[in-house]
Amino acid sequence: MTETSPTGNFHPDDAPAYESILQCMRCGFCLAVCPTYALTNRERSSPRGRAALARAVAEGKLEFTPAVRDEAFLCLDCKACSTACPSGVRVGTIMEFCRSQAQIFHPPSLPAGMLRDFILKRMLPSPALMETSMLPARLYQRLGLQWAVRRLGINRFLPGVLDKMEGILPTLGPPLRTEIPQFIPAQGKKRGRVAFFLGCAMSLVFPDVSRWTARILSQQGFDVVTPKEVKCCGAPHLAEGDRETARRLALINIDLFLALNADYIVTDCAGCGCALKEYEEILEDRADHERLRLFRSKIRDISEFLAEVGIRTEELRPVPLSVTYHEPCHLVHGQGLSGPPRQVIRAIPGVELREMKESNWCCGMAGSFAIKELETSRRILERKLANVRATGADALVTANPGCHLQLAWGVRELGMKQPVLHVVELLGRSLPA
Amino acid sequence: MLSRTIIDHLQQRVGAGNVYHEREDLLVYGYDATPEIAGLPEVAVFPENREGLQAALEVSRQEGLAVTPRGAATGLSGGSIPFQGGMVLGLTRMNRILEIDEENLTATAEAGVITVDLFNAAAARGLFYPPDPGSQNVSTLGGNVAENAGGLRGLKYGVTRNYVMALSGLLYDGTEFIAGNKCVKDVAGYSLRDLLVGSEGTLGIITEVTVRLINPPQDKRTLLAYFRDIRTAGEAVSRIIAARIIPATLEIMDKTTINCVEDYAGIGLPREMGALLLIEVDGHPAVVADEAEGVRKILEKVRADVIRQAANAEEAAQLTAARRTALSAVARVSPTTILEDATIPRSRLAETFAEIERLKEKYAIHVATFGHAGDGNLHPTAVTDERNHQEIEKVHAFFSDLYEKVLSMGGTVSGEHGIGIAKKGYLLRQFGEGGMGVMRRIKDAFDPGGRLNPGKIFLEGASSPDVRIQGGVHD
Repeated sequence: MTETSPTGNFHPDDAPAYESILQCMRCGFCLAVCPTYALTNRERSSPRGRAALARAVAEGKLEFTPAVRDEAFLCLDCKACSTACPSGVRVGTIMEFCRSQAQIFHPPSLPAGMLRDFILKRMLPSPALMETSMLPARLYQRLGLQWAVRRLGINRFLPGVLDKMEGILPTLGPPLRTEIPQFIPAQGKKRGRVAFFLGCAMSLVFPDVSRWTARILSQQGFDVVTPKEVKCCGAPHLAEGDRETARRLALINIDLFLALNADYIVTDCAGCGCALKEYEEILEDRADHERLRLFRSKIRDISEFLAEVGIRTEELRPVPLSVTYHEPCHLVHGQGLSGPPRQVIRAIPGVELREMKESNWCCGMAGSFAIKELETSRRILERKLANVRATGADALVTANPGCHLQLAWGVRELGMKQPVLHVVELLGRSLPA
Repeated sequence: MLSRTIIDHLQQRVGAGNVYHEREDLLVYGYDATPEIAGLPEVAVFPENREGLQAALEVSRQEGLAVTPRGAATGLSGGSIPFQGGMVLGLTRMNRILEIDEENLTATAEAGVITVDLFNAAAARGLFYPPDPGSQNVSTLGGNVAENAGGLRGLKYGVTRNYVMALSGLLYDGTEFIAGNKCVKDVAGYSLRDLLVGSEGTLGIITEVTVRLINPPQDKRTLLAYFRDIRTAGEAVSRIIAARIIPATLEIMDKTTINCVEDYAGIGLPREMGALLLIEVDGHPAVVADEAEGVRKILEKVRADVIRQAANAEEAAQLTAARRTALSAVARVSPTTILEDATIPRSRLAETFAEIERLKEKYAIHVATFGHAGDGNLHPTAVTDERNHQEIEKVHAFFSDLYEKVLSMGGTVSGEHGIGIAKKGYLLRQFGEGGMGVMRRIKDAFDPGGRLNPGKIFLEGASSPDVRIQGGVHD
């Protein structure tokens, strides 16, 4: 193997670490779990293939070509390959770096680029701007539309894109961030103090779910502090290749939340949880190591938290319901949390958990993928819903706003009976009135 | 570089979406799981049926292209690497399970079927397809047959060869062959089937396989034992076999592997132990109970330092956790993992481990050894960094010495990975010029032009058995 510079044909800014790519031993175990490879049967659309392309760029054997960019964006970043990988390669993360590189080597056209910059650098970082100067409904649609404009042009896919954008958003109420009390006291015997990280999508699209989260935390004996100054977690920025803004947001959130002196920082959004747990890594050598470590040690997904502290079940009322559970990629593969959500579901009296096949297979939402790659996304979703249907369960439970939107849309489209519920909504149903 | 006309022609005959010629595609059809080696094809073709395959071969003959058949490219000896460029012929789109024949207890499937899918299809009818190579979730049946893949169950249930009843496919010149049938007894003529199993894609292209299915075991018991001294573990293995107990699984891990697993997973393994044995007996419940008891007595007799027996499936899963984690744990230690498959008569286990330890010290390299103790098939695994040329040289010297010892004990240079590119030199040592000459004549009879998977098995034009392919994409 020839010795090459660490970045080769990558731009030195935010290039994937050569070590992280070299770690791939090409065993191919990832091929069995990759949704895009399952659809294409094309090696370059597999994790092993994507790692090899990144390696070829790093070793100067390949330029950062449009095909490399396309593969970086076709990747769902569902991280299923990280779970399957024996040697610890994280191709999703390598592809996030490649998306950063794509902005350098293949910048979007000027209007699309300005729109992207506006959304990622101005709107998302400012909750107030996002909530007031734009209708919340537009956020999602604009993100998708921007992509449609940039990637597809105005073409035959566009009518379908618009249909889906319109169909996927539920009826929206006012954002929770402006309404939720900053402090909710613990009920019963106090067990601790929790800071609630209220994510953008939860606040804007699923405020009722996050209301349940806050109520459950309080009912379980925790003071709940929800700071209004919370910023976007940075997940959309990492996904779109804007690492710089992601780092800026991370620094603000770290300062904000560490100042609250909470025992834990809890979120009910798997995507946020995953990003928050990555702050330590994306800010490595750019912030105080001890503070990063301290922040990391406090982050919990709501299910992880409840399973860890133990659910007080004395007051819970039976919920006679059979449910099946779809594992959000950012929970099972991103955070390695497969058991805790099931523990929470099983703790609810009366609930019967029916496991579906491939419960940890992506639903095809994957951030803005559901809009950008409409047809691919639909095929991945159909595979998921067939597995849901086979369980015959009364309800479909998940734990992430992206999956929630996609699954609820799919269930409606196919006329299936199952309502989609967040784990905390299900748990909420058993709470005393 | 193939001309646009030829690409167009291929796309027309095989399907536009089944022919790849862009550099980004070719780069990723140049490798398999073998470290340090890669090639670069000129085109990669994925026929969906026999006609498409015929068309691809026809174009190859016209253009004089080398053809390298490819399954899932999980091989560890370089069998599916396009050594001379040319055409990579992917079989993954011929992936239908054609028949489960319950009257004859056989399954017939196309070469691209994934091993575990065949296993599941058989299981759905209450039948059992035992070969379980480590990559069974990805590997293809055709690839398994071509490499004669083994797995954890080899000791009791045998390897892929023991299940293949019939094969069909095409030779490079387009001749169709059918080798074998569903008959349990068949002594008609030379067994072409047995020649093709393990031929690593050098004789013909296998498109369809009929395998034998058996009854699944009804019950299973799992035991785990630790030994301070690995020689005691070797003795335990010998005594179990000598007691005529044939476990379905009889796996070993050495001290280095135990410590790798503990570093990675932190599941409380005793770091001071020299070896771990994982034993699973399966079959009829009454027999299984007897055999588990027999194994336990032997473990007590040789004074294993710790003996555990699983009371239920959950406990069994806990006991197997360490062995299941072994590859992950070892692979994470460093960027490059060189996994070999030295195999010895199982009575020589302890001696082989001693030699591995001696050579590790001699070359000052890191090697973790685990594997299928019951059938003598070991996986000494060097954890290294391919950028460190000096260390890589030492690793190769280590394996060269080890194989010398393995051969002197009546062992073989490959238990389940095949020869491919990586082990050509070692194969010559095992068979000598005479044996290789006979193989060469067989190869010539099937593929006189030498265009089918060239560069494999035979060490061309080199007299030294130590010639290895140096790494990197040679393009």
